[in-house]
Amino acid sequence: MPPNPLVDPAMKTRFDNAYVLNVVADDHPGIVAAVGDAVIALEGNIDACSQTVLEGYFTLIMIVSFPRPVEPEALSESVRGHGAALQVIARRFDELSGSPDAYQGRFVVTAFGSDKPGIIHRFTQYLAGKDINIVDLYGDRSGEEFMLISEVEIPARWDISLLQADLEEIGREEGFTVRLQHEDIFVATNQLRLRRREGNA
Amino acid sequence: MLRTDEILSTIQMLHAENLDVRTVTLALNVNDCAASSMDHMCRKLREKIVSRARRLVEVCDRVGRKYGIPVTNKRLAISPASFLLAGHGRAAAVQLARTLDEAAGVCGVDLVGGFTALVQKGISAGARVVMESLPEALSQTQRVCASVNIASRKAGINMDAAGWMGQIILRIAEATADQHGFGCAKLVVFANIPEDNPFMAGAYMGPGEPEATVNLGVSGPGVVGSALKRRLQQAGGKLTLGELAEEIKITSFRVTRVGELIGREVAAGLDVAFGIVDLSLAPTPKVGDSVGEILQTLGIAQIGAPGSTAAVAMLTDAVKKGGAFASRSVGGLSGAFIPVSEDAALADAVARGHLSLEKLEAMTSVCSVGLDMIAIPGDTPAETIAAILADEMAIGTVNNKTTAVRLIPVPGGKAGEVVEFGGLFGSTTILEVRNAGASKAFVRFGGRIPAPIQSLGN
Repeated sequence: MPPNPLVDPAMKTRFDNAYVLNVVADDHPGIVAAVGDAVIALEGNIDACSQTVLEGYFTLIMIVSFPRPVEPEALSESVRGHGAALQVIARRFDELSGSPDAYQGRFVVTAFGSDKPGIIHRFTQYLAGKDINIVDLYGDRSGEEFMLISEVEIPARWDISLLQADLEEIGREEGFTVRLQHEDIFVATNQLRLRRREGNA
Repeated sequence: MLRTDEILSTIQMLHAENLDVRTVTLALNVNDCAASSMDHMCRKLREKIVSRARRLVEVCDRVGRKYGIPVTNKRLAISPASFLLAGHGRAAAVQLARTLDEAAGVCGVDLVGGFTALVQKGISAGARVVMESLPEALSQTQRVCASVNIASRKAGINMDAAGWMGQIILRIAEATADQHGFGCAKLVVFANIPEDNPFMAGAYMGPGEPEATVNLGVSGPGVVGSALKRRLQQAGGKLTLGELAEEIKITSFRVTRVGELIGREVAAGLDVAFGIVDLSLAPTPKVGDSVGEILQTLGIAQIGAPGSTAAVAMLTDAVKKGGAFASRSVGGLSGAFIPVSEDAALADAVARGHLSLEKLEAMTSVCSVGLDMIAIPGDTPAETIAAILADEMAIGTVNNKTTAVRLIPVPGGKAGEVVEFGGLFGSTTILEVRNAGASKAFVRFGGRIPAPIQSLGN
């Protein structure tokens, strides 16, 4: 599994005083540079970041660390001061005590069908009920069609074929084609290097 | 993190274009089942097959579900039955075939290969027993598949074996006349038979293979065909053949990767070595799952027209190149199959008179197998069938490639009539065999056509 800094319990930030920053704005050039200015001004370091733009709106999640403690609200204010019309939230970053052994790997849920209100709610409610963690979610409405793609981590205790049957049943009720597949099939068909299986070199 | 477009293109390939793993074939060495008593031998054989293969279907289904891709066929291949049958007679060979049939059924697999004789340089006692039992063995069993290797680059062509196989093929057709000679669809005559081929009817476990191994065959003519159409549409039809070959290569890479992933995991699940991935474009009679349609997409409006051989050559080569980079170990036949009855577009080309036996033969010189699933008139002389075998074997030995023949003489059938084999075997028009009977003297000389000069490569 590739290292994911957001759930990697082994992650060590450069400085001891670490924070999670979340920035939302109308998309325009210079937002990341503005956040960077704010971090530099406090002599800090960007330890990890992920950014996306959805329909013209920009969102950023970033882990930053500083040599000296900063109040989260002061950090937010500093970032706002470096850019125009940024919504900023900061909170302290605690190293996560994830338990990767409890999962049987990462799977991809895909659902395609005619859009109607409540679709994401229906599927995510099912996943939540099974303690299935969503690590990535993408949805797109095109005409009347809606497409949902989600990467999830599934607890080791579940039989995949039962989850598949449940999701397909929900799909039938909602008029959606739903599939649950291990992510390695997508890695194998798109990336140059196959992941190595333990015990089967 | 995976990209959305990567996920979507894989979903398209797996589900909209019906990519499947065509076969997972568990190959077993059964030489340790040899015994002087046939009852004892068959008991050991059954026990070995059932104990090693009883989880095959379950493991394939579980792995297939995990990745959302069906493993369509689960099959078995054994070391050559001829190795077990030296010192036994024809009845013993039929008993062995029935045991294989029953054991395969218990394991839930649809076909078992390895009722095989290797006779390229001469016919041993065990091989003779296998060959003479073929009409009974193939007519009295459902799942048993046979193969006879009568030629190789190093040995040349055993024309005595070719002559005899001409007669045997007719006898198998007669023994299964109620099924239009269908028994012949379960027999392949080879030059340079691959030792790790997972595809039926020619799968067997070669002498240099380990005790047990999983070999996997992926297919995907539908995926390659769709990829070409999509690419042409995007480019408004303005692509060169080099660019189209590149698209075939990329698609073959992706298809082979599916096989590599599934094969490794199935092998681990069965606790046996993973052997090879065979990426062969193996069509089924379904529309959209056709090698012939790929040739049409490549601009051959009537399959069999000039250009068909060049198009097959380009296709086979591009498939091999894409597959070779995708897998740690590519083997088997790996290329493009052109089985006439199993490919709706090829069968249609035969029905329309566009595709003749001679053009098919030319295409086999650059495809990955040979004259495959071709119905011919039931009154074709044995010597003519033997001469067709010899021609195909010559292509294999001289060009250092595998070639094979799976001809079905349809008892009572005449050229132009349509014959239906059902299921994956499809239906086809009986192909005219021109100059029938005109090769008798050549075949009757017998002996062995010496190995070609290319064999002196050491």
